[in-house]
Amino acid sequence: MDTTPLLQVTGLRVAVGGKEILTGLDLCVRAGEVHAIMGPNGSGKSTLAHVLSGRDGYEVTAGSANYRGQDLLAMPPEERARAGVFLGFQYPIEIPGVSNVYLLRSALNARRAARGEGEIDAVGFLRLVREKARLMQMDESFLQRGVNEGFSGGEKKRNEVFQMAVLEPLLAILDETDSGLDIDALKVVANGVNSLRAADRAFVLITHYQRLLDYIRPDYVHVLAGGRIVRTGDRTLALDLEAGGYDQMLPAAST
Amino acid sequence: MTRSTVQQAVTGEPGIRPPWQVAAEQPRPDTPGLDWFAGRQAAARARIVQSGLPEPAEEDWRYTSLASFARRWGEYLSAPAGAVVPEAGDPAPGRLPVGGHGVTVNIVNGVLRSLPVDGGAGLTIRSLGQLTADLRGRAENLLLKTDKTTPDKLVDLNTALLGDAILIATEPGCSPPEALHVRLKAGTARLLSQPRLLVDLAPDSQLTLILEHTGGSGALVNAVSQMSLGRGSQLNLIRVQTLPDDGMLLDTTDMELAESASLTVTSVDLGGQLCRQTIAVRLAGPGASATVNGVFLADGKRHIDNHTRLLHQAPGTTSREFFRGIADGHGRGVFNGKIIVMPGAAGSNAALTNRNLLLAPTAEIDTKPELEIYVDDVRCSHGATTGQLDPNALFYLRSRGLDPAIAREVLTSAFLREGLSGIVIPELRLRLEAQLQARLGGEPASKEPGATK
Repeated sequence: MDTTPLLQVTGLRVAVGGKEILTGLDLCVRAGEVHAIMGPNGSGKSTLAHVLSGRDGYEVTAGSANYRGQDLLAMPPEERARAGVFLGFQYPIEIPGVSNVYLLRSALNARRAARGEGEIDAVGFLRLVREKARLMQMDESFLQRGVNEGFSGGEKKRNEVFQMAVLEPLLAILDETDSGLDIDALKVVANGVNSLRAADRAFVLITHYQRLLDYIRPDYVHVLAGGRIVRTGDRTLALDLEAGGYDQMLPAAST
Repeated sequence: MTRSTVQQAVTGEPGIRPPWQVAAEQPRPDTPGLDWFAGRQAAARARIVQSGLPEPAEEDWRYTSLASFARRWGEYLSAPAGAVVPEAGDPAPGRLPVGGHGVTVNIVNGVLRSLPVDGGAGLTIRSLGQLTADLRGRAENLLLKTDKTTPDKLVDLNTALLGDAILIATEPGCSPPEALHVRLKAGTARLLSQPRLLVDLAPDSQLTLILEHTGGSGALVNAVSQMSLGRGSQLNLIRVQTLPDDGMLLDTTDMELAESASLTVTSVDLGGQLCRQTIAVRLAGPGASATVNGVFLADGKRHIDNHTRLLHQAPGTTSREFFRGIADGHGRGVFNGKIIVMPGAAGSNAALTNRNLLLAPTAEIDTKPELEIYVDDVRCSHGATTGQLDPNALFYLRSRGLDPAIAREVLTSAFLREGLSGIVIPELRLRLEAQLQARLGGEPASKEPGATK
């Protein structure tokens, strides 16, 4: 199996409005792995997700992020998506007037074009979308509705994972996908993620709570504090965090 | 800054008389059955000879000059087109499908040219000359209604030169199962087309009415529609304007709602060079409610001006208004929405929203939402925004792999498309969505929103 990292983040420093949020972050993600990144509020979790997906307003002052040997930070957001990077939004956007099915088809065809494949045919697309909708326990009627329009918080998160399931990315970064979910929705979301686990695919789960990790077993758990990863362990680290809180992990100097 | 008047713009050279004076003095053909209307017409004619067209000095006309309208009219009058003849391509009279839905009536240059064989149960469509005594009473009442409100130059003009009017009337409690599609066509004959529509809904009746303004090159129109919604009646009015790029349309719609009547308007302006519409709604009976939504696309060199006036006169009346517009290129959009809550309208509820997208630095949008409230016990809100596309939505689409240019098109088109969602006739909505997509790009027209294949 190829052991070249899918994602290699080295010494990443990122500032927002002149304030440094990430202060030298290192992360290595290989294909087939599931990484959980946990940390208190304000530790830089969402900044990491945003900067990896290419959102505006983040200034990279030092370090690098390589995705399959390419400079990820130099790629515009749409190129990252086409190359197989998927961001599950913490707050998915409502876009009335654009149907879910149109967005999905456009996104899928953009990804296929980047791989040198032709547009998916109507029958194949419908079959794929129906299969994934069933997996996420979503009623098909939502496909014709506006993107996330009138969806509850839980439905929006489910729709993010549904999109991921259709697009089949190589690297999925899920930004607090578990927040705001009741236990049933959490199980559906976890089930969607688990069904996509594959030898050529990796996940970075950004989460505040250990709860999600009861349903998605990570290979690694990282503790993010003060803008960098301060501890790395296996899933038992998450249980320790749940028991003792984040304070025990933080270096004395930074508190 | 001094603004030249419409009259000066047209009659800059000595000896040239304004078109409204020329037109008013032309002999009018007798319209059978209109004799009872002659006195009213003479009075309107006397007024327009004096007052002419609205001038930029009038507050309601400060953004829209009718100089080009008057100039074209003058040209048409100096080279008379002769009698109105049926034009090539006019659909034959009879029952016509609107994409397999509803019945169609064609009105060319203000003259009723085709009638459906059967308008549907309880629905009557007639020229003024064809009215029975009972229907004539209803037409007369409607024509008088505008006189009770503020005198209006455009209504006067239409009345003064009126050749015919078309009455659409329902019987009490009747609900024609299909939509009525009235196509108001300004022909290529070089003349001022002045359609006049009278729509009278009897108590507890229901009607879905599509009013479509179309025309050939050089179309010049001053349309007036007067509508009365009887107690408990429901009107779903879909007004669509798709004139050619050099078309000019002045369009006045005046509506009065009796107790518990319910009105829904969806107004769509996609064409023309100059379009000014005024929608006036009087909520005259307790519990009456009106939803007035609009969409306009002022791209190219289009000038589209929407004036709405919702008057709450009775207690417990409700109005909802949402206009959305786009200006691009050298286009200009105007929205002026006024809600007036009169002293007698306690317990009323009104909300007015205008959202606009400005896509080019050379385009312009002027928006003015206004509230006038003369009673305490009401709930009113209003707001207007003009801006660019939402950067968060743009990023969301890009993060899914969409090219930035495509993502922009998708969001732009979706912004207006959302305003079409109230059009309950799938064939019509599909046609308008396809036009939006052809002009703005974005998502192709969908077959059946809300349903899967």
